[in-house]
Amino acid sequence: MIRLDHASRWYGQVIGLNDVTCQIGPGLTALLGMNGAGKTTMMRLITGQLRPTTGSVRLFGLDPFANPEVYRHLGYCPEIDSFYEHLSGRQFVRMMARLTGFSAREAEQRTTRTLERVGMADRADRRIGGYSKGMRQRIKLAQAMIHEPEVILLDEPLNGLDPVGRRRFIDLLGDLASAGACIVVSSHILYEVEQMTRSLLLLHRGRLLATGDLRVIRSLIDKHPHQVRLQTDEPRRAAELLASLPNVVSLRFTPGDEALELEVREPDKFYDALPELVLNQGLRLQGLSSPDNNLESVFKYLVEA
Amino acid sequence: MVLYVFRQTLREFLRSRRLLPWIFLSVLTFVLAANWRELSPTSGVLERYTSVMSVFVYRLLALASAIYTTAIVSQEVEQKTISYLLTRPIERWRLLLGRYLASVVVVGGVCMVTAFLVSSAVFAGSQVNHAGLLERDLAALGVGALAYGALFLFVSLLFNRAMLICLLFAFGWETSMPNLPGELYRVTIFSYLQGIASHPPLQAQDKLLAFVMGAIGPKTVSLAACWITMGILIVSLLAASCWWFTHFEYIAREDAE
Repeated sequence: MIRLDHASRWYGQVIGLNDVTCQIGPGLTALLGMNGAGKTTMMRLITGQLRPTTGSVRLFGLDPFANPEVYRHLGYCPEIDSFYEHLSGRQFVRMMARLTGFSAREAEQRTTRTLERVGMADRADRRIGGYSKGMRQRIKLAQAMIHEPEVILLDEPLNGLDPVGRRRFIDLLGDLASAGACIVVSSHILYEVEQMTRSLLLLHRGRLLATGDLRVIRSLIDKHPHQVRLQTDEPRRAAELLASLPNVVSLRFTPGDEALELEVREPDKFYDALPELVLNQGLRLQGLSSPDNNLESVFKYLVEA
Repeated sequence: MVLYVFRQTLREFLRSRRLLPWIFLSVLTFVLAANWRELSPTSGVLERYTSVMSVFVYRLLALASAIYTTAIVSQEVEQKTISYLLTRPIERWRLLLGRYLASVVVVGGVCMVTAFLVSSAVFAGSQVNHAGLLERDLAALGVGALAYGALFLFVSLLFNRAMLICLLFAFGWETSMPNLPGELYRVTIFSYLQGIASHPPLQAQDKLLAFVMGAIGPKTVSLAACWITMGILIVSLLAASCWWFTHFEYIAREDAE
């Protein structure tokens, strides 16, 4: 559905996006990167608000820049928290529906339906100026999905949402993705992304660092030390046994000898070997965790690499 | 779709908060017109009418055009709401045209109401024959709203902070050029609007007043030439604006910098 081919975008002397090539298909994909990584630039290129300086961007095989044919199938939820503050949520969403080309009646029906879907039906007649951040995010989502587009791009949509709202929002995005839509969500908050999807595009300083399934990305970092924390009542013995494994790079006792922290390479092989060691040697483990088992570490590894 | 954009924008432009300053200026002009006799005791009824119209109403037209027309795109860019508009399945030129027409209706409406008030104030109880004078002014104000609107719209698409340029044009260029010797008055909109309005020639005038009215230099533009020039200006600038808006990027202000 979305295809970027060596797309770069310069703002004068500053590069916003640097030679990005990728394809995004149906399902929920996260565009991950720190602030200034180029996420919004990429979103704007895909939504045809910007043109690439070099390379090309295609949606459904079409150039999206100022292309109404593309916008019939595209919904966009911008990061900026700007609205027509004097309008009510319902008026704003209805206006967006009318601008999409729906008749007054159809726009009204779709507005009611969409506001219910995003959980704003009971508060939609209040002025947007009086909305909380979470309510504004929902209204933004409502205007993006009012025409049931095949592609929805959401720029930092979870900003300002409370945990319950966040959960509902993520579930809603999951539903849309399950229905066959292509959902692209940008975020710099990694644990949020982790709750949403395993399909990632990782951006850093305008470059696409990695793309694909989280597990595939994880394989890229196998060469980097992976941290594992073992809780055991016999840490000295555990250390002796674990040191014999070829993938263990370093061992460290935590203060009070309550746990053992290891750095391992090729963590999958280590996790395969560990149960055998525990069973054969009768090693008693109270706990096993990895501080690296989240996107934060993936991001950190890839960025540092 | 243009009609929906037009209606929506009109509703936005007619919000009381936006309209109040113009109602105030309109009433102020009416009060000035009603009391112009005290300010200029030697002037006749027609002179008073022409003076108030040229000095206030046509300036109000330029001012309102500058403010409303630059709001068509610049305000959306500055408020960062432009993303919502430019990612809907509507051709950009339709969006621009609908919003432009709404601004013209508001600006033209405000100025025409003001002209009507001025006419009522000046000619109240007067026996002077002023047939056709107000009608010609209303026509000139309508054309002026279209012409200033088209020009300022184009300027606002080219420059980030267009308001200043538009105001300088409205009050600097438009005032000084008609007073300069030679044919320079031809590069102003005001001169053509004066040609369409065809105010009667004034006899004795205060120099400053004559300068503000752009009445110092001689002007010889036929009525037909005024209409044709304004028509060409409006159509060409509108076409250029639509083309420009369709082919160039417009994103929220802070992101553009």
